[in-house]
Amino acid sequence: MKARTWPALATAAMVMPLSAMAQDAYVIGLTGAMTGPPASTYAPAVDALRIYIDRVNAGGGINGKKVSLILQDDSAQPGKAAANAKQLITQDNVILMLNASLSSTYAPVAAEAKQANVPLLFASSVCPQSVYPPADPLQFCTTAFAANYDSRATLAFIKETAKQPVKIGFSAMAIPLSRAEMDFAEQQAPAHGMTVVGKEVIPPPTPDYTPFATKLKDAGANWVFSWAPWVTQVRTLEALRRLDWHGDYIAWSHIEAEGELARLKDGQFYVVGANALFQDHLPIHAEIEEAAKKAGVQYPPQQMAEGWIAGMVIEAALKAAGWPATPQQLALAMSNLKVDTKGLRGGPIEWTKDNHFRTRQYYRIYRWDPAKGAIISVKDWYVYDVK
Amino acid sequence: MQLAVNILVLAAIYALIACGYVLVYRVSRVMNLAHGELMMLGPYLLLVTAAQFQSHWLLAIAAAVSLSLLTGVLVYVLLMRKMTGEMVLAAVLTTLALGILLRGVMVLVWSAQQQYPASALSVVNFAMALPGGARISLISALLVLTTALVYGGLFAFLRCSRWGIRMRAAGQNPLLAAQRGINLHAVYALAWGLSTLTAALAGILIALDSGLDQTMAIIGLKAFPAALVGGLDSLVGALLGSLIVAAAEVLLIHYVDPLLSEVVPFLVLIAMLVVRPWGLFGTREELDRV
Repeated sequence: MKARTWPALATAAMVMPLSAMAQDAYVIGLTGAMTGPPASTYAPAVDALRIYIDRVNAGGGINGKKVSLILQDDSAQPGKAAANAKQLITQDNVILMLNASLSSTYAPVAAEAKQANVPLLFASSVCPQSVYPPADPLQFCTTAFAANYDSRATLAFIKETAKQPVKIGFSAMAIPLSRAEMDFAEQQAPAHGMTVVGKEVIPPPTPDYTPFATKLKDAGANWVFSWAPWVTQVRTLEALRRLDWHGDYIAWSHIEAEGELARLKDGQFYVVGANALFQDHLPIHAEIEEAAKKAGVQYPPQQMAEGWIAGMVIEAALKAAGWPATPQQLALAMSNLKVDTKGLRGGPIEWTKDNHFRTRQYYRIYRWDPAKGAIISVKDWYVYDVK
Repeated sequence: MQLAVNILVLAAIYALIACGYVLVYRVSRVMNLAHGELMMLGPYLLLVTAAQFQSHWLLAIAAAVSLSLLTGVLVYVLLMRKMTGEMVLAAVLTTLALGILLRGVMVLVWSAQQQYPASALSVVNFAMALPGGARISLISALLVLTTALVYGGLFAFLRCSRWGIRMRAAGQNPLLAAQRGINLHAVYALAWGLSTLTAALAGILIALDSGLDQTMAIIGLKAFPAALVGGLDSLVGALLGSLIVAAAEVLLIHYVDPLLSEVVPFLVLIAMLVVRPWGLFGTREELDRV
């Protein structure tokens, strides 16, 4: 009996402090694509979130309690994401679930979260329809890009900027969200007086983008709009330029945009986005740069705004939920939240009972200025109400 | 004319990757499912060598390719050698596991972010005008040239050199070759080394042209149908298979639907498997082994 009891007691002695520690902290869990093909989009954001939470803990935590952030890699695979979500919810007892992965992982993670009545925050992964009004009570999103609104903002800018009749081509990646957005833009373009001359849906991965670019060039496009993962956006542009195409190109300002604008130095390449680029030199940018340097991260600080914003929102939500916080109390607090992004976005992130995306979506457009040898803002913040 | 250039460039990419599959299969009967990852390792090694030889891009590339050759030899010596005499399936599964391991290690070491070896080496990838209004980038032109040189070199090596003849002998009848005093392990190690070298060349040139990220390993798999269409144990077949797959892909992108480019290689492969399962230039008896 003794022989059996001792190992059990020893195990309990090891586990008890961990449980106690967990109960003495806000436990939140993330499943994300930290490895795998799309990791370049998600891993920097996850790193930024981790640094943010570490800083919060170093500063005394929230409501006097530490935040325990558990990270699980799903390599953008739905099966792994489901297993991660189950473990985080049933074994780690997280009060908030985060997703930073491909949209194909959403359904299994959302199902686990819903079953356990745990709020689910999409941070750096594209916002699903369920966070827009009327929002799912348990789903929230901080990610910059917004289906349909992004195309409306982009087409409005092209209409305002173009000096001659616009013949527009579109470039999408062969994934549902990108295709749907380019389909939407294709439908909207004629209402802006534009002629749609082509739409290329490019499979990932593609060894050579030239065949797709050849079609867009041959179709006579003088503007090309791409809303896709960064790799598709930028490689289509580079292939077009090698074909001696001199039109204007506009793409979504993903986290890679700032470094890439400086690399390409292309005066006719515009990026439309909801995050301020670090070339604005805001105090919050300096804060992120300093934190990234201190933490010795692998990714450039310019790629960290998305994860930082998620951290700010989580901090505000936990503060509002108080201590101790149940998942239900947290969801309630998140449903009535306003977070000052300190200039990282054009305005605050505001969630209401029915709107878990944000009540107003702000856009800004940048490009490389060859004369100045720097990135410049070509259109300052403009706003759309999200209804 | 531009279509013809596009076909040529894509065929060169597929052919350069596919010859690595053929080299290993022809000699050791193993389908190397880590070929894409070994291809991706080449440009990552180039990032390392670029930091050492910044102003000498040719030296940096030569060093990265040499390291890749060594990696291939080490893969055989440390891993695949242990699979000698085991079921072929076990060896294939070992390569699958190796691929997963390599992917993880590469993320840990170089992170998941997009990398540009061309910027690291200050290589300007300008476009050149060709007759008929077509254009080709410098790196794409180099890729076509490299593929031609690699195939030419391999044909000469396999036909004329002592080690090349030993490789062919080991591929045709390993038992007899061993009885004639050929060191099979050395031959297999050489095949793995050459296969990884050609894969690295492909990876380096693709990365110099359009950048490097985690999706490159999947590009390695896209060339696999080209090798199968041509016949998995034939270099001529790999060349022709690549041309057929690339032509079908580019023409369907241009005239039908760009989305077809994802399925075309496999449609061509299925068609070939129905009509001639051992491929255009493959050996008929190899079918059982596949």
